[in-house]
Amino acid sequence: MLVKDVMRSPVLTVEPGMTLEEAYRFLLEKGIRHLPVVAEGKLVGILTDRDLRLAMSHLNPGGPLPGSTPVAAAMTRKVVTAHPLDPVEEAARVMREGKIGCLPVLEDGRLVGMVTGIDLLDALLKLTGVTEPSGRLEVRLPDRVGELARLTGFLAERGVNIHSLLSYPEDGGFVRAVVRVNTLETHLLAEGLRQEGFEVIWPPKKPW
Amino acid sequence: MVIYRDEYRLYDFGPSHPFSPVRLEMLTSLLHALGVWRQPLEPPEATREEVLTVHSERLVKRVEAASRGERVPDLEYYGLGTGDTPVFPGMDRAARILVGGTLEGARRILAGEKRVLQLGGGLHHAQYDRASGFCVYNDLSVAIRHLTQAGLRVAYLDIDVHHGDGVQWIHYEEKEVLTLSLHETGRYLFPGTGHIHEIGRGEGVGRKLNLPLEPFTEDESYLEVFEALVPWALGAFRPDVLVVQSGADAHYQDPLADLLLTTRAYEAILRLILEYAQAYTGGRVLFTLGGGYSLDATVRVWALLYLVFHGLPLPERLPEGWLKEWQARLEKPLTPTLHDPQAPRAPYPEIPRKEEIARRNLLTLERLMELVRPHLVH
Ligand SMILES: [Zn+2]
Repeated sequence: MLVKDVMRSPVLTVEPGMTLEEAYRFLLEKGIRHLPVVAEGKLVGILTDRDLRLAMSHLNPGGPLPGSTPVAAAMTRKVVTAHPLDPVEEAARVMREGKIGCLPVLEDGRLVGMVTGIDLLDALLKLTGVTEPSGRLEVRLPDRVGELARLTGFLAERGVNIHSLLSYPEDGGFVRAVVRVNTLETHLLAEGLRQEGFEVIWPPKKPW
Repeated sequence: MVIYRDEYRLYDFGPSHPFSPVRLEMLTSLLHALGVWRQPLEPPEATREEVLTVHSERLVKRVEAASRGERVPDLEYYGLGTGDTPVFPGMDRAARILVGGTLEGARRILAGEKRVLQLGGGLHHAQYDRASGFCVYNDLSVAIRHLTQAGLRVAYLDIDVHHGDGVQWIHYEEKEVLTLSLHETGRYLFPGTGHIHEIGRGEGVGRKLNLPLEPFTEDESYLEVFEALVPWALGAFRPDVLVVQSGADAHYQDPLADLLLTTRAYEAILRLILEYAQAYTGGRVLFTLGGGYSLDATVRVWALLYLVFHGLPLPERLPEGWLKEWQARLEKPLTPTLHDPQAPRAPYPEIPRKEEIARRNLLTLERLMELVRPHLVH
């Protein structure tokens, strides 16, 4: 999954000369929180609803700016951006580390899209496969070659389609695999997996 | 009035599939052995047009083609030919016969009948454009649509352990249909939906209610939330008729899910439903069967349904001859009593998280009621 698959486009932008008051009204009207500022086709800054409110508040260290101030005075100039072909996990990492809520997406210097935290949550939902009717299996695998193949091979043999498969490293040399499968029979699958020596975390073994 | 025909058993995905027609064979033979079987009404099969009142033509075409044994390249896209819902010869007609039974129930209600028990159907996972989870056509939705087209307000109550997703999505924007599903949470269990936030869309907002329960929920906790939610919702919605999907897979013996109801909870639930129908729909109620994959438990739960439905006394033990015959046929022991064994020989080990599970279920109930109250209560 790449940034181009989750970004929004076209992007609503403003010019640096727009006033803070106009910009705030624009944000409210469009129901958005991030405004890229573009001059002569180039991204020159970004303005969030939080930047705007602070700029016009008496809590602003330099005193409140009048509503007629151009946005150029309140925008962030050093903008962190992404490329359409960046993997989504990289975008997520950049946003998390920079504690930022959105990434303008640039291609050849042109603004072609925006990725926000909400878009990344949508991506997560899609990655987990919860949008398809499915049941959930959770298996702990030894972190070594061929284990995941053994698991998916088992499911294929039973004619079970996999809607999604997430795996992540666990302490002690293990990998946890979370699989969404198109079957009601996850308990029967779990039983079969246990017989093959897999450690199934969910569904649990019933003691009766 | 009971609706049934032997051809319900044509709906058969094969000997190793859990949705087994043996359940019906066992059930009807038990009712015979108990001496309570009364001649049922034999329904006609539903027509193609009747199926099309809730399904897409492209789905029906694929079901028809697959039933004739034709190769259909995009079958899996329509939820067919999968491990759960494989195709078999005559599948279209077999599914239409089940739809016909539930639809006949709806017709009888419109003709003035109060209580109808359809001994089949309950295929609540089938969706507008897709077969799913053992369900080819949605008999419940065809019946519900027939009732709403006649001007009735319908409350649909789903006690199957799985979320009644097909029925919910088909009527998601309809204001004259209240859907109410109690199920094991979809966090782990198929079909993964049935969250409290799924409350309907457009005119249907606030009229689709889901109570996802914690795995290992037991009798008391289930009954506690059931008695708080169901009469409240029915009282607010004021339906003309109640349609009930009586899945038996919330029983602790069920091999596919993790709720821990005993037959005692089922008896209480069924009696409550009849009471609620008396209080809120002038007694009009249509029951169907549904899921239930432990033969031993499912047959006892549905026998309970049949007996409570008719107001008959409940026998303690099951007929010896019947037990002998079926134990030999299934090559395993069966519970010899209608009810599950009771303490001191409890049917399953103690659940250490019992209190926490009950608390979480209550919390879910509160959040659900908060969410729908502004829409449902006027
Ligand atoms: Zn079920």
